[in-house]
Amino acid sequence: MSEFDVMPGNKAVAHGVRLSRVEVIPIYPITPQTTIVEYLGEFIANGQLKAEYIQAEGEHTCLGIAVGASLAGARAFTATCSQGLAYMHEVVAQAPSYRTPLVMAVANRTLGWYWSLGPDYSDIMPELNLGWLVNFAESNQECLDMVIQLYRISEDWRVLLPSMLSLDGFYLSYSYERVNIPDQETVDDFLPPYRAPYPVDPTISDKWPAAGLPPALHTTYRRLFEELMEDAKKVIYAVDEEFGEIFGRRYGGLIEEYRCDDAEAVLVTMGSMTTAARRAVDRLREEGEKLGLVKLRFLRPFPSSELRRIAERVRAIGVVDRMVLHGTGGGGAFADVRSALYSLDERPPVINFITGMGGEDIPIEDFVAMGRRTLKAASTGRPEREVEFIEHKPEAAPPPVQLEEVMPIYPGSDGCAGCGSSIIIRHLLKVLGPNTVIVNPPSCAGVNFGGVVTVPWVLANYAAAAGYETGLYRAYRIKGKADKIYLTSFSGDGGTVDIGLQAISGAAERNESFIWVCYDNEAYMNTGIQRSGSTPLFANTTSTPAGKVWAGKPEKSKNMILIMAAHRIPYIATASLAYLPDLERKIKKAAEVTRAGKGMAYIHIQQPCATGWYFPPEKTVEVARLAVQTGVWPLLEIEDGVLKVNIKPRELKPIEEYLKLQGRFRHLTKEQIDTIQAEVKKDYESWLTLEKMGKLPWY
Amino acid sequence: MGLFTYSEDVIKGFAVSDRTKRGGQYVGAWRVLAPEIDYERCTGCMLCAIYCPEAAIVANEAGKPQVDLRFCKGCGVCSNECPVKAIEMVKEEG
Ligand SMILES: Cc1ncc(C[n+]2csc(CCOP(=O)(O)OP(=O)(O)O)c2C)c(N)n1
Ligand code: SF4
Ligand code: SF4
Repeated sequence: MSEFDVMPGNKAVAHGVRLSRVEVIPIYPITPQTTIVEYLGEFIANGQLKAEYIQAEGEHTCLGIAVGASLAGARAFTATCSQGLAYMHEVVAQAPSYRTPLVMAVANRTLGWYWSLGPDYSDIMPELNLGWLVNFAESNQECLDMVIQLYRISEDWRVLLPSMLSLDGFYLSYSYERVNIPDQETVDDFLPPYRAPYPVDPTISDKWPAAGLPPALHTTYRRLFEELMEDAKKVIYAVDEEFGEIFGRRYGGLIEEYRCDDAEAVLVTMGSMTTAARRAVDRLREEGEKLGLVKLRFLRPFPSSELRRIAERVRAIGVVDRMVLHGTGGGGAFADVRSALYSLDERPPVINFITGMGGEDIPIEDFVAMGRRTLKAASTGRPEREVEFIEHKPEAAPPPVQLEEVMPIYPGSDGCAGCGSSIIIRHLLKVLGPNTVIVNPPSCAGVNFGGVVTVPWVLANYAAAAGYETGLYRAYRIKGKADKIYLTSFSGDGGTVDIGLQAISGAAERNESFIWVCYDNEAYMNTGIQRSGSTPLFANTTSTPAGKVWAGKPEKSKNMILIMAAHRIPYIATASLAYLPDLERKIKKAAEVTRAGKGMAYIHIQQPCATGWYFPPEKTVEVARLAVQTGVWPLLEIEDGVLKVNIKPRELKPIEEYLKLQGRFRHLTKEQIDTIQAEVKKDYESWLTLEKMGKLPWY
Repeated sequence: MGLFTYSEDVIKGFAVSDRTKRGGQYVGAWRVLAPEIDYERCTGCMLCAIYCPEAAIVANEAGKPQVDLRFCKGCGVCSNECPVKAIEMVKEEG
């Protein structure tokens, strides 16, 4: 029996994935996609879905896992957007030639470019022409249904190409709508298990996807892929037809026409904006204006012949674009529509409206105005302007509170009440002063402090922050500034132990003279508390929910201090916001080492996070103190290879005192607490053993 | 939001951050409870100010802590950390 529920678009996607019995789900968080994979985690934690759920350390790996699983013949799914999609790019380009029919949801969000969480198609645009099928959803129901349809289409042996399901961030991902959830048996009948023609499995197959072709065949295979795209069109129509017969919902294949029958002009839209555009068309129709609407459902393969047929009937086309092809003067959909119509003997004028960039809302009134302009072009035969940017003034932001004294960081922030990272950064800047440059990978800190610091705050791409820092350092060095500017990161744990690690390791091995500060809140907080490589054993996070099947994070955290020591850098330390004199001393030491050009200084500071660890905000410092007193967070430093444990409590407090303050450990059993206690003791004693060695042997 | 503080461009299309236009961020409206300092008890150790995440506590002329409520989110860290329990979190009047 199918049922109805009210849910956001991201949950609808997750239901589609569940019903498709996806077998392998690699994940990496990014707003506004993350809740898709969180819902999937919940399904698995509670036994509603059986799948490998793999928490990658970055998107490049994440899509690699999906491709690997698909190569081996498993049905794979992942989701991302924006920076994450861009970081996957290389793997995105690889997947089609491996003929891996995986499905990836892209909850659209602006890529880079002055950073916005809101949707435009700058993220999906660079991925369009690599051989994936690219579908845009308008409603939450369409999201659920299209996941199922896309697996059917992609896995069809006439196609065997990966698919992207594009759903607009916020407008769909987080907006609630009534959705019909089909029952499992019906979906099973519609979507049989995936059968790979040439699985990478030497026990059953002598053939597997080729990695390379001689250059002479590249042109041929490009042509073949274009033919595949044409074949995919037929499959798309056939699958939609069959889906409609079984589930009672049809979407129209490559495009959907709305009130186009006698239209003199049409607007062309895609994604969630279509709903407002429909209302605008209705309004103009009431006034007797003959306006229609064409929704581009698939951007790849592109519905060229469908649009040609419409162009033959109408006298003007207005393309609404949420994507700009810089250097061409217009938008992406506009370029595609125009080029599709070029072969017609007679073509109507095509005009382009660029709007809604950065996720700005496109109100119905704007669509009415765009409709009128398109109708006018239809009546005059030529548009006033070919490309128009529909712009609005921003709302005035509240002015800052003027203070007499100039400080490296002013009071106030956007962080949660009681945020420990605020305590850390204020003391960091107190020591380093105004001639500090901060390199910040995306994190809570960027949101919290970007507006109150008076030192340069360089927001770096997540995996490249240590690269940005290296570049800045080398430039300062050749300009004779390296001893006049303190250069430090302010990075979360995700940006340090996971996605940032490769670049940090590179910089450490080259022994670049800058400071790396990691404020460690032991999870991806900015995206809503997903586990990271720094999340401790058994902690509950939104991607390791404690449920019927799962009991929090099953792994221990990475030992970053040893990893950094393996690079033999001159200074490494841990610190705590409850022990500020020790913390300030270590920052000073790091500043001295780097100023002298001796190499990298690495400081790893634990940051209790009330929001993500579930404790009342006033306990931030208390929790940090208990972490040191129980031995969970030993304070130590390694100076030129000599390890010293700075604070040695006469007797470590029982771990329970630390755990019981925090909601993320509420589900723990007595046994689990004992396990943690044993691990903490073992680790703490290991540090003491290393301390006794004097100099670490590999220094 | 911090990321979105920018200045009008002088060079066409070049959005810049201008530190001379920065200042404190008013967050007083976040507060549910406010710290109330009992100056009889307060020893002037200033630990509350050192730990205050928002840098909302400064020393007054008497060398005692004073909360600038424009920047206080009411997190209660100061009250929790005060070694002589001189800070109470209270409902504000009005
Ligand atoms: C390549 C890339 N992937 C994902 C993101 C989304 N993202 C922004 S902040 C963040 C989490 C930050 O976690 P962490 O580094 O631990 O810092 P925290 O927010 O916990 O302080 C993520 C995943 C991104 N900006 N870029
Ligand atoms: S989620 Fe945690 S780290 Fe992020 S601002 Fe809030 S308290 Fe700070
Ligand atoms: S309640 Fe929090 S923000 Fe307010 S003064 Fe105390 S520590 Fe600072």
